[in-house]
Amino acid sequence: MSSPTGVAPPKPHGAHEAHHEELGFWRKYVFSTDHKVIGIQYAVTGLLFLLFGFSLMMLMRWNLAYPGAALPIIGQLFGEARMPGGTMLPEFYNELGAMHGTIMVFLGVVPLAVGGFGNFVLPLQIGAPDMAFPKINMVSYWCLFLGGITMLGSFLVPGGAAQSGWTSYTPLSVIAGSGQTWWLIGMIFLITSSLLGALNFITTTIQLRAKGLTFMRFPFFVWAQFVTAFLLLLAFPPLEAAGVMQLMDRVAGTNFFMPSGLVVSGQALTNVGGGNTLLWQHLFWFLAHPEVYVLILPGMGIVAEIIANNTRKPLWGYRSMVYSIIFLGFMSFIVWAHHMFMTGMGTAMAAFFQTTTMIISIPSVVILTALVISLWGGSIRFNTPMLFALAFLPMFGIGGLTGLPLGLNISDIPLHDTYYVIAHFHYVVAPGTIFALMAGIYYWFPKATGRRMNETLGKVHFWGSLVCMNVVFMPMFITGLAGVSRRLFDAGSAYDFAQPTMHWNVVSSWGAWLLAVFQLPFIFNFFSSIRNGEKVGENPWQATTIEWSAPSPPPHGNFVGAPQAYRGPYEYSVPGAGKDFVPQYEAS
Amino acid sequence: MMKEISMRGRGNGLCLAVGLLVATVWPGAALAANVTGTVTFDGKAPALKPLAMDAEPVCHKVHGGKPVANEMLVLGSGNTMAHIMVWVSKGLPAGKTYPAPKTPVTLDQKGCQYIPHVTGIMVGQPYRILNSDGILHNIHTLPKVNPQFNRGQPATVKEMTTTFPKPEAMLQVKCDVHPWMSAYIGVFTHPFFSATSTDGKFTISGLDAGTYEITAWHERLGTQTASVTVGATDVTQNFKFAVK
Repeated sequence: MSSPTGVAPPKPHGAHEAHHEELGFWRKYVFSTDHKVIGIQYAVTGLLFLLFGFSLMMLMRWNLAYPGAALPIIGQLFGEARMPGGTMLPEFYNELGAMHGTIMVFLGVVPLAVGGFGNFVLPLQIGAPDMAFPKINMVSYWCLFLGGITMLGSFLVPGGAAQSGWTSYTPLSVIAGSGQTWWLIGMIFLITSSLLGALNFITTTIQLRAKGLTFMRFPFFVWAQFVTAFLLLLAFPPLEAAGVMQLMDRVAGTNFFMPSGLVVSGQALTNVGGGNTLLWQHLFWFLAHPEVYVLILPGMGIVAEIIANNTRKPLWGYRSMVYSIIFLGFMSFIVWAHHMFMTGMGTAMAAFFQTTTMIISIPSVVILTALVISLWGGSIRFNTPMLFALAFLPMFGIGGLTGLPLGLNISDIPLHDTYYVIAHFHYVVAPGTIFALMAGIYYWFPKATGRRMNETLGKVHFWGSLVCMNVVFMPMFITGLAGVSRRLFDAGSAYDFAQPTMHWNVVSSWGAWLLAVFQLPFIFNFFSSIRNGEKVGENPWQATTIEWSAPSPPPHGNFVGAPQAYRGPYEYSVPGAGKDFVPQYEAS
Repeated sequence: MMKEISMRGRGNGLCLAVGLLVATVWPGAALAANVTGTVTFDGKAPALKPLAMDAEPVCHKVHGGKPVANEMLVLGSGNTMAHIMVWVSKGLPAGKTYPAPKTPVTLDQKGCQYIPHVTGIMVGQPYRILNSDGILHNIHTLPKVNPQFNRGQPATVKEMTTTFPKPEAMLQVKCDVHPWMSAYIGVFTHPFFSATSTDGKFTISGLDAGTYEITAWHERLGTQTASVTVGATDVTQNFKFAVK
């Protein structure tokens, strides 16, 4: 590896002796400080929890499609306290609902999108040898792990897991069973994990950039992760504080969120009063709306990378996209109360939050439009990552556009807490974000393993998922517009007004179960390709960004020499160039 | 006891031995007595608001679309009171335990009413909850010392069973779907309790000779206690409740 002059190339920053240190199994694969191992740990953990959260939903969908019917065979496994004779009790449905939301958001998508892709890809894309604080990075993962174990363990406590919805609204959550206490403790671990990760991402992005990698030479994915890290850093502390306060309300007799005069089941609650139950909603949504962008921005970043690579064109409007994502991140902190129009908010406040909500749609539209325009005139490669990335655009578009009526007070009130809301945000995060994450897995799998995933299986996975996702969620717009509440364990079968919509639940449920079937090719492909996938070199996609200069898989320390950025991230089809891509890391 | 022995003859040693053995091993067997009585209401019965079940069409129809009498105060002829729980509250031998029967105590939900409205059960005895209505109900106990039981019972779940691990008299059972539904249950460590029906009568059977405190309870009119001394024959103890 010596240079032509006989002088060894500079060792990458931070690699040094660690480069040559032989680590044992536990330090190499379990308590690792290597960002790539941690990224894979995050990603695998996130995928497992996505599968688990998805399974909870499939159980829920049984009762929504066939309310009161005994679930054959599987239903017998959950015992008399949850599914007597295989019939789902409402309390179990509530457990499934609360934990589905919590697990999919905090243990599935965020660990995969931020912990997985952020850890694995971001340092490679900026030419860094590792994260700025590798040990903090390791602690961050293990906090997530503990949080996950706590959440899973809560299913085993008397009374079961949390049942107060993923939003854990007070005062219901304060008087709920002991599973809620576990939920709060689990959340404290998860929030701590995210905060540690966010600090690391911000520091790494600023401090460990390769020489020449100015901010405007960042791949859009780096920008997305950078802004996401700020959202996590600034939005999560209020929820962590709120979580501790709710925990104190439950176990220490405080009354942060417990108002006076509460009557539960006809009995006045004693020793409560003086608290403000709406305070919880404010603190929760102050996190949870930025959290929506935590879920979506990394997905946008992934899609941007894949679209540029597979259209063989620079991203259209790169600078506009960067300014938009920064503006979007800022605005995401001042829209939270559009989730609370039903709380009797005054018209002045409602007007403010409606206005900010309409404004925040502008940068989202700018980014989406730029990605769509980027397709124009491109020589598009329709490989599996690109198919998922392309599908992201209309799916996120449907999710975004259907959110506008929810951002306006007058139309939100009749739609509040109906299936319309479920359909809206699932279009954003399921066929939206999760498709983007799938695109990212297919795209960076060769970098992580040195092998490519099978294209045929990938396309079966894609087309099946695309059709099924729409079969699952599109009917929910219909049931939602009919006014069916999202909270009903029997999909409203007890109500006359819901009868005309009941058959749509059968359609949605079969869509969900088929969606599970179409994940099987992905699961098989994922594990099979690790051993049997087509071997690839360091840059199988003929991509331009710095991560593709590292060996596949990258060694400890990542790069053979210190990489340097010589140009912007998307120099595709440059007139006069010898090939249709000019990598950012190659000197001309 | 001496009188009984003398009746059998002084020379009958075998009988004496058997009698002593039986009295030692099963002291209540030969001498068990009942406490019986009648509970009545004193004064003019207040007019109570009937239960309106319009919100639940199934139950509204079961009752012919008519309002249902309030279960709080149900009187028979002669102002006898139903829904009174009477139990032995003091005087049982310390440390003596009574095994809980395996047969369950049943609470049915029929016409959006709990049947029976007042019942007693022993600690650890199965509490069987039926749903004869075929609609969603919710069984929510409101105990002070027992763990709370709060579970929905969908139309297709016809039966559920639970137990109470600690004694508690009395605790309320409510339905959070149908707020007018209410029942009361007493959980005891012994079998010496009885709930009245409209004839106002109660019977506590099988008590050993001794002096006991008997408590009578009504959901709104509170409790009354009386001291009874039980010998070889039944004892009568009546209670009278009034609006204070």
